[in-house]
Amino acid sequence: MRPLTLGRLLTHCALLSAVLFVVVVIALKLGAVPVSLYGLGHDLLRVLFRQTSQLSSEYQLIIFDIRLPRILLAVFVGASLSVAGASFQALLRNPLADPYVLGVSSGAAVGAIIALIVEPHLSLAPAIAALLTPVGAFLGAALTVTAVYFLGLRRGQIDSATLLLAGIISASFLQAIIMFFMSTLTGGNYRGIAFWMMGELQTPPPRIVSLILRIGFFLAAGVIYTTASDLNLLLAGEKEAMHLGVDVRRVRLVVYIAASLLTGLAVSVSGAIGYVGLLVPHVMRLLFGSDHRILLPTAAFGGAIAVVVADTLARTVVSPAELPVGAMTAIAGAPLFLYLMRRRLA
Amino acid sequence: MSSYARSASALRPSGDAGDFNSDVRLSVEQVSYAYSANPTQAPLFTLEATSFQARPGDIVAILGPNACGKSTLLKLIAGALQPLSGRVLLNGFITHTLPHRARGQRIAMVQQESPLLFPSRAWEFVLQGRHPYGRTLRFETEEDITIARNALAQVGAEHLSDRFMDQISGGEKQRVILARALAQQPLLLLLDEPTLHLDIGAQVDLLETLRRLASANRYTVVVVTHELNLAGQYADQVVLLQKGKCLRVGPPATVFQRELLEQVFQTPLTVELGSSGRPRVSMPSEKQ
Amino acid sequence: MSILAGLLLCAAIAWCPSLRAQTPPANSTASPLYKEVIDEAGRTVRVPLPVQRIVSLAPSLTETIYALGLQDRLVGDTDYCDYPPDAQKKTKVGGAINPSLEQIVALRPDLVLVTKSLNVIETVNALDHLGVSSYGTDPHNVRDIISSTERLAGVLGVPEAGTAIGADLERHLADLQQRLNGLSSRRVLFIVWSDPLISVGKHTFIADAMRLAGATSIVDSEQNWPQMSLEEVVRLQPDFLVFASSHSEAGQNDFDVLAERPGWRGLDAVRNRRFAVISDAVNRPAPRIISAIEDLARQLHPEAFAAHPDDEKKIAPPPPTQPSARPLDSASRVPAFLEVCTCAL
Repeated sequence: MRPLTLGRLLTHCALLSAVLFVVVVIALKLGAVPVSLYGLGHDLLRVLFRQTSQLSSEYQLIIFDIRLPRILLAVFVGASLSVAGASFQALLRNPLADPYVLGVSSGAAVGAIIALIVEPHLSLAPAIAALLTPVGAFLGAALTVTAVYFLGLRRGQIDSATLLLAGIISASFLQAIIMFFMSTLTGGNYRGIAFWMMGELQTPPPRIVSLILRIGFFLAAGVIYTTASDLNLLLAGEKEAMHLGVDVRRVRLVVYIAASLLTGLAVSVSGAIGYVGLLVPHVMRLLFGSDHRILLPTAAFGGAIAVVVADTLARTVVSPAELPVGAMTAIAGAPLFLYLMRRRLA
Repeated sequence: MSSYARSASALRPSGDAGDFNSDVRLSVEQVSYAYSANPTQAPLFTLEATSFQARPGDIVAILGPNACGKSTLLKLIAGALQPLSGRVLLNGFITHTLPHRARGQRIAMVQQESPLLFPSRAWEFVLQGRHPYGRTLRFETEEDITIARNALAQVGAEHLSDRFMDQISGGEKQRVILARALAQQPLLLLLDEPTLHLDIGAQVDLLETLRRLASANRYTVVVVTHELNLAGQYADQVVLLQKGKCLRVGPPATVFQRELLEQVFQTPLTVELGSSGRPRVSMPSEKQ
Repeated sequence: MSILAGLLLCAAIAWCPSLRAQTPPANSTASPLYKEVIDEAGRTVRVPLPVQRIVSLAPSLTETIYALGLQDRLVGDTDYCDYPPDAQKKTKVGGAINPSLEQIVALRPDLVLVTKSLNVIETVNALDHLGVSSYGTDPHNVRDIISSTERLAGVLGVPEAGTAIGADLERHLADLQQRLNGLSSRRVLFIVWSDPLISVGKHTFIADAMRLAGATSIVDSEQNWPQMSLEEVVRLQPDFLVFASSHSEAGQNDFDVLAERPGWRGLDAVRNRRFAVISDAVNRPAPRIISAIEDLARQLHPEAFAAHPDDEKKIAPPPPTQPSARPLDSASRVPAFLEVCTCAL
C-alpha cells in the first residue's frame, strides 16, 4: 500500500521539469541559424546582467525575439492542452476525449475567420489590429463552449453522454461553416487560416496575449488541480462519487469551465494542435498512474515537452521552410496512439 | 490499548458522541416520492408515504418484488433524492440537506459498481472512502492508511489489497466495496441488493459480516433485498413494499405473514417459525 | 506557506518576457538614413537608405529584382524562386507562406519584399514586430505590374532602370495592340487546375494578360480562383483552352489527359484540339509576363504575326495548334501550382 505523498509528487515534478529544461535548451540551440550552447549560456548571463551591447543584434533578435518566445509559447500551449485533455477525459468519462471534442477549436477557427473578415473594414491601429485574431478566436471558442454547455444539460445538470454528443455535433456544424468560408472567401488575409487550423506556433502573438495565456494557464490549471481528488472519485462512478462526498455538480461545472478556458486560450494563439491533449495524459497515466493529483502536473510537463519537441522538429526538418506543428504531432501521435491502444488490450 | 482495539474503535463513527444509548438514529418520516420523465406528464412511478425508525446496531431489510420502489427508498434515505413529502432524519439532520462532505462522513452506500475506466488497486479503492475527511488538496495520512487497512481486515479482504479491481471475483469485489464504505466511518450503512451475484455461501458470509460489524461498530444498516430468508434470518426490522406502497413495518415475525407474503410475491408460500424465533419462508411441498 | 511559494514561482514564470533583450531594431548596418514610403497595400514603410540587402518572398518579385539588375543585392529568396536560374543559387528562406523568420533575420536584410497575392499578413506582422521593414506590392492587372515595377525601382534607388523597363513593356504592348487591331477576340478558358476545375476570375492579372493577348476569358467571376462546373464550360463553349506550363511537353500532356476525361468531349475545343500552351510566366506578376502575353497572342492569332503584318487579314479557320517549343528547365510545375493553389485558399 503506497499512496501518493507530497514528496513523491514533488520528486516527479522536479524530474520532469529538469527534462523540460534540457529540451528547451536544445530547442534554443537548433534552428535555421546555428547557435552554440556555450555562446548561448554566455549570452543568457549577459542579458541577465544587462550587458546587451556586447551581443550582435541579429543574434539577439533570433534567440530572444524569435526562438525563446516561440519556445515559451510552445511550453504553455502544450501544458494547457494536456491538462485540458486529462480533465475532459475525466469529465466525459471517456479515454478518447481530447480538448477539441466539444467543438472549441472549430468555434475558435470560425471566430478567427470572422475577425479576419471584419478587420479591413475597421480602421484600427496596427497594435489593436494584431489583437483582433486571437480575441476573435477566443470569443468564438467561448460562445461555442457556452452553447455546448446548454445543449449538454439534462435535467439541469451536465450529463457526460449528452455533453459529448452536443460537442461532436457542434464541432461538425462549425467545420461546415469553416469549409463554406474557405471556399467562398478570396483575398489576401485568409490564406494563413489553413496553416492556423493545422496548428502553428510561427506567428508570435502580441505580448499581452502571451501574458494572458500564461496567467490563464496557472489560474485554470490551478483550479482544476483543486478538484483532483474529486476527479479520481468521479472516474470511479458518478453515483459512487456523490455518496463519497463529492459535489458532483460543482466539480463538473468548474472543470468544464476551466478546461474550456485552457483550450480556448491555447487555440486562440496557436490554432488546433492535435494529439497532444489526447495522448500525453495517457502516456503519463502509464508512467505515473491515474491519480489526478499526480497526473495533472505531469501531464502539464509532458505536454510542454511534447510541443516543444514537435515545434523544434517542425522548424528544422525541412529547414528553412517550416511545417505546421500540428503535422508533427500527428505524425508522431498516430503511431503512438496505436501502440497505446494495443498495450491496453494486451 | 492494543492496536487492534484502537483500530477497531477507529472504525466507529466519528463525531456525534453519546451514541451508545439505544436512541433512535435513523428516522424515516412519511417519505414519499414521484418520478415523471416530463414535468407535464403524469408520474411514471410513485412511492407512497413510508415511515420507520432504526437504532444503532440495527439491521433493517427493505423487502419486496422487483420495481416496488426499494432502491428509490434507499436513495431517499441516503439523501441522494429529495422526497416529495416527509423527511429522513439521521441523528436529527435531514439527510438531503447535509453538505456533501458531511453526508459522506455519515452515510456510506454499497451498490453495484459502474465499470471502472482506469482500474485501480484494491487499497486505492478503499482509500477513496477517506475522501470526505480530507481538505481540498490533500494527501492521505498515516491514519487514513490505518483505517483503510483495518477496513479491509474487517471484511476479510486484506489479501486482496494489491490486486487490481478488474481482476478479482464478484464476491471479492463486493467485499472491497464494503471495505470502502467502512473506511468512511459512517453512522449509516446502506446496501442495495448486495447479494445479487453471490452464491448462498457468500450471501450468508456477507450477512454474518454485516451482523458482526453492526453490533461491534454500532452501525445502522439498511439492506435492500428480495431474499426473504436472509432478511428473515438477519434483519431486526423489515420494511415490506409492493408497487410503491409500504405494506408493513416490523420485526420479521410480524411481517412474514403467509397471506401478506403471498399477496406481495404472487406465489403460494409457507412460513415456519424457527427455534430462534425467526421465520423461514419456503415453497409449499407437493403433497396437495 | 507552500502555496504562497508556488504562486510566486508561477508569477515569476509568467513574467518571463522581461528576459527579452533591449535592442533597438538594428538591421541597417551603418547609416541611420531612411525614407518613408507608402507601399501598395497602403502601409507606411521605413526604407533604409541605401537598400543593400534585399530578401524576396515571392518568385515574381525575385524576377523583378533581376530584371532591374539588382541581383547582387538579393541576399535571400524563397524555395520557389526559380527564374532566372541564378535565383536558385541564392540563400533560401523557406516557402512564401511559411518562411523561416530566423533565416530572414539572419540575412540582415534592409528590406523584405512581399506581395499581397501570395504572402500572408502574419509574416508581415511578424517582421514588423522584429523591426524588419517589408514592402508589399499588389498589382491587379498588367498595367499595374508595369507601374508596380517602376515604383519598386524607385524605392530601391534605381528609378531609371524602372522607367526603362516600363517603357520597353509599353512598347511591346503597343506593338501587340497594333497587330491585334480589328481582330475579334478569342473566347478562351484558362485552366489553372483541372480536377477540380479552377479558372481565373475577371479581376486577376492573368485575365487582364489574356485580354491584352486578344483573348477573353469565358469565366465572368468576382472570385479570383473560381471553381467551374464542366456543364457551365460546355454551355459557354470556349474557342480555345489555355494552359500555363513551364515546358511544352507538360502542356501537351495536360491537354491529352483532359481530353480523356468523360464529358470533356462535349467541348468543340477539345474535339478539334484547339488549345494553347504558354509559359508559366503568366502566373507571375513580373515583367516576364509580356513574353507570355505575346506567346499567347501568336498562338491565338497567328495571322497577325505573319511575315508581312500589313497583308490583308484573312479570316482563317482555326488551325491545329502547335505548342511552341520551350527550352526544358529544371523547374517543376509544382511550385507554380502551389503559388496559385494557396491563393485559392
